[in-house]
Amino acid sequence: MTTPFVAGPPHHADPAPGEHAVGFIRRWVFSTDHKIIGIQYIITGLLMGVAGGALAALIRLQLGWPEHRWMLLSHLLPNGMPSGVMTPEFYLAVVTMHGTIMVFFFISYVLVSGFGNYLVPLQIGAKDMAFPFLNMLSYWIAFLSAAVMLASFFVEGGAAAAGWTAYPPLSAVSSAVPGSQMGQTVWIVSMALFIVSFTMSSLNIVATVFSVRAPGLSMMRLSLTVWSYFIASILGLLAFPPLTAAAVMLLLDRHFGTSFFLPSGLVVANKLLPNTGGSPLLWQHLFWFLGHPEVYVLILPALGIACDILPAFTRKPVFGYRISVWCLVAVGCLSMIVWGHHMFVSGMSPFSGEYFSLVTLTITVPMTIFGVNMLASLRGAKLQLRTAMLFSLGVIALFGSGGLGGLFLGNATADMQLHDTYFVVGHFHMMIGGVTLLATFGAIYFWFPKMFGRTMNETLGKLHFWFTFAPFFIIFFMQHFLGLQGAPRRYYAFTAYDYLQKTRGQNLVISIAAMVLLSGQLLFFLNFVWSLFKGPAAEANPWQATTLEWTVPSPPPHGNFDAIPIVQRWAYEYGVQTVDGDFAVQTVASHHARVTA
Amino acid sequence: MTAYSIAGLKARATAERDVETGRDVAQGFSPATLREDQVRLGLWMFLGTVTMLFAAFTSAYVVRRSGSDWRHVALPPMLWVNTIVLAASSLALEAANRSGLGGGWRAASGAFAAALALGFGFLAGQIAAWRQMVAAGVYLPSSPHSSFFYMLTGAHALHVVAALGVLIWGAAATWSGDRNRRAWAARMGVCRTFWHYLGAVWLFLFALVSIY
Amino acid sequence: MKKLEGSLVSLLFAATAIVGVAYGAGIRMPPLASRHGAGIDAMLAYLLFTVGGLFLAGYLALAYFIWRGVRRSAIGPRLATRKTELLLSGVLGLGMAVIAEGGVLAIGMPVWQEYFAAAVPVDAVTIDVTAQQFAWNVRYPGPDGKFGKTDPRLIDDTTNPLGLMPDDLAGKDDVVTLNEIAVPVNRPVRIQLRSKDVIHSFFLPNFRVKQDAVPGMTPEVVFVPTRTGDFELACAELCGLAHYRMRGFFHVLTAAQFDDWLRLQSAANAKGN
Repeated sequence: MTTPFVAGPPHHADPAPGEHAVGFIRRWVFSTDHKIIGIQYIITGLLMGVAGGALAALIRLQLGWPEHRWMLLSHLLPNGMPSGVMTPEFYLAVVTMHGTIMVFFFISYVLVSGFGNYLVPLQIGAKDMAFPFLNMLSYWIAFLSAAVMLASFFVEGGAAAAGWTAYPPLSAVSSAVPGSQMGQTVWIVSMALFIVSFTMSSLNIVATVFSVRAPGLSMMRLSLTVWSYFIASILGLLAFPPLTAAAVMLLLDRHFGTSFFLPSGLVVANKLLPNTGGSPLLWQHLFWFLGHPEVYVLILPALGIACDILPAFTRKPVFGYRISVWCLVAVGCLSMIVWGHHMFVSGMSPFSGEYFSLVTLTITVPMTIFGVNMLASLRGAKLQLRTAMLFSLGVIALFGSGGLGGLFLGNATADMQLHDTYFVVGHFHMMIGGVTLLATFGAIYFWFPKMFGRTMNETLGKLHFWFTFAPFFIIFFMQHFLGLQGAPRRYYAFTAYDYLQKTRGQNLVISIAAMVLLSGQLLFFLNFVWSLFKGPAAEANPWQATTLEWTVPSPPPHGNFDAIPIVQRWAYEYGVQTVDGDFAVQTVASHHARVTA
Repeated sequence: MTAYSIAGLKARATAERDVETGRDVAQGFSPATLREDQVRLGLWMFLGTVTMLFAAFTSAYVVRRSGSDWRHVALPPMLWVNTIVLAASSLALEAANRSGLGGGWRAASGAFAAALALGFGFLAGQIAAWRQMVAAGVYLPSSPHSSFFYMLTGAHALHVVAALGVLIWGAAATWSGDRNRRAWAARMGVCRTFWHYLGAVWLFLFALVSIY
Repeated sequence: MKKLEGSLVSLLFAATAIVGVAYGAGIRMPPLASRHGAGIDAMLAYLLFTVGGLFLAGYLALAYFIWRGVRRSAIGPRLATRKTELLLSGVLGLGMAVIAEGGVLAIGMPVWQEYFAAAVPVDAVTIDVTAQQFAWNVRYPGPDGKFGKTDPRLIDDTTNPLGLMPDDLAGKDDVVTLNEIAVPVNRPVRIQLRSKDVIHSFFLPNFRVKQDAVPGMTPEVVFVPTRTGDFELACAELCGLAHYRMRGFFHVLTAAQFDDWLRLQSAANAKGN
């Protein structure tokens, strides 16, 4: 009995029968294969990430050097930076689009839809998603949505400029800010497409996990990655419809004279508006009813992925698997009832403030336990610091610092001073910016061999980690303290106030760190493209990991598994002796190695 | 999700038990009903999101209702006719289902045609109701109540259009010669769930805008 | 090589935490100038200490595990017992709940109550602040203690920015200023906030006061300035192009200085009319 339990070397020359029959377009463009769709999402998302990163660079240029004339950029952006200095209208459009693109088109596409599509069927032993055609449809709608969002820079008045939260009346009245002319309408249309696409994709993931798990794969044997996608997708299904409703109402307010969000007696640009009786707070409630679960939609998969990368490089099971699963479930439930902590100073009833404060802080309990379980997974480890592992360690670190920052903001009393300051900016960048970004990179380094049959360069990868974690931490850690000094967010410059003068030096440091961070990403793209064509060939299971995707060749053939695998054990069987090494993949029968769960 | 769990989850649960006892697991798996289970599950999840959509509209309605400028507009009596038409359509669909299960394909085909016709009749009736409102000088921005009326009926009508597409897919199975009883019943299940659900949503919305 | 790399990564996290805490300890908030602000600062101080400690402990633990982990040639105990897992989760989960919720209940809620729920003191100075793109219209009721009625239809940004009704007698003695608020020290100030156009936010960094000005609503803030001096008022909710320089001035004066200031403004108003 010396036959390894995982597949042998990849057999590219021997494609599965039937693959010849489909042409290039069906195979690579309008494919219904979840792996191709996953990769399409990842590539689209990475490109959107480049756009979002470029916008971040513009923001930091402005805040670090508020009066400097960037003559080169004035040629590239004659409207936004006519004399080399950014105009305020362009700055607000850039801030709004940076937030929108990073939240919805980068992290959602790469991490949630991209890796969700790629990993879920493979890890549950399925040949494809439950609804492959719907899956293809959701990708192409997502693609369209991203294209529409980018196009909004070129419409009259420029891109939307009311922030990614799009609070009316600013977002509803076209004379309030230039971006609220056509730009905001295009923003709404793009978001509507995004929601349609994301809903279909979430529905698909939930249905897949429910219906096509391989025999033997009970819910309590699923990897935390699959669990996190499962919970995140349920949240997506329940949380996005209220944003749809709000977007419809905003559109009607903008173009058809209704007054859902517009109160009586508004005078904008010295002109009295005819609207009566609407409620601007209604938008905020509907928006954050989505907005808060949405951050968990993004962060849960990041945590799940980090949890699955850890054991491959600690060579022992994760700590407290069952408890972690229940933490994910608890966080999912709690995330639906805490949205009001974004509105402590909005004029909402102070009693609601007390309620939201108390329930928000209960989230720290499952999240603390989850974080500590990740940390405790390192105890007694035989650690291998591969690139993917470094990024996972970074996830633990940023999740710790970002999560602790949440204690300030969930606390209504502390939030009175910190609301809408850079403390908030620092906090959410650590969480839905940093945790997700590092998990995304970790996932790419970890599953790149599976996806493309080639391995990424470790030296470049490790350099990339150092150039990502260190500047990232400096930028957003310092921003917390900008907030404590009272620096409001979404400011075009910190020049107009005496009390903010001393923050200008800090902003300069932050901007320099941001430039280091952004240029560090060149290492990643270089590595990615180089490895895609020239990387050394990957084995089926280069990390000696246990989940089902590692039992098939790299890259997996169309249909993934020759025969549906029969699962015999949980996803974390490390530290047991088999013919493969110190681990047992999930399909190894109980008479070869003891079954833990 | 209840409908799904009955057929699908049980099969899977059996499969899991079998692994532990080492018996042949493939037996517990039924690829024949898997697709139907998935479609049913997908439909229920979709209806879950639609419920959240209308729940959001409803809470917005309740909040906006407390505004000082709230003024009820007269709703066209036509809506009562539309309600009866939609209810009749649901009943016809049930009749089609019952006839089909009993093997009465002619009756089933006729009843299904009636259900479809009544469904389109409902849409036409809603459009007529809108036209009556417009003729009476009540437009989308006339009052918050009218804004909600047009928006809610519009959103509901869009879902009805989608459901009619699904009904046509069900009707095709009823009218065609190829009659796999189980597959047909599964298709009917999807049609009935979706259609009755939208009927219930309509009753709720109609009550909301007329009473509250 | 492996050990060296492990030590470097370990050092990265340890140094991050130590330098981070040291950096944070050197940062000061804008000097405090209000009574309830002391409570908010106490809340923040409590959080900075506890969270700073947890942050340091967590990062050092992470650094230690890495430093130790790369030096191991075999894994330690493979699985923790169910009891250990539950115990660790229970203790840390509960500990976190005590730190987070305890802070809210013991320090946060009383301040929140003081700030929102207390009845408006009778001797409060009432000021009506109407935000607009991109200025703060400030109004004092004048000797009669009553604000004149306004009507948005009369608003004209240059001649009548608040839409004051000319035939309302209560409005005759109202004192109107632009971006300048003066208040007497140690006397409660009651600010009625309005907005003409979009959402603004009335942010006085030194006073730990922040309240959105939402059109269609009139939220109030009541607080007691405790230090004389000239302070700045900022807008904290994105309101448009000049959001970043929608600056106001907040002067805390002695009682006598305040009366003089009000008289002066009143005279300037009369001349303007």
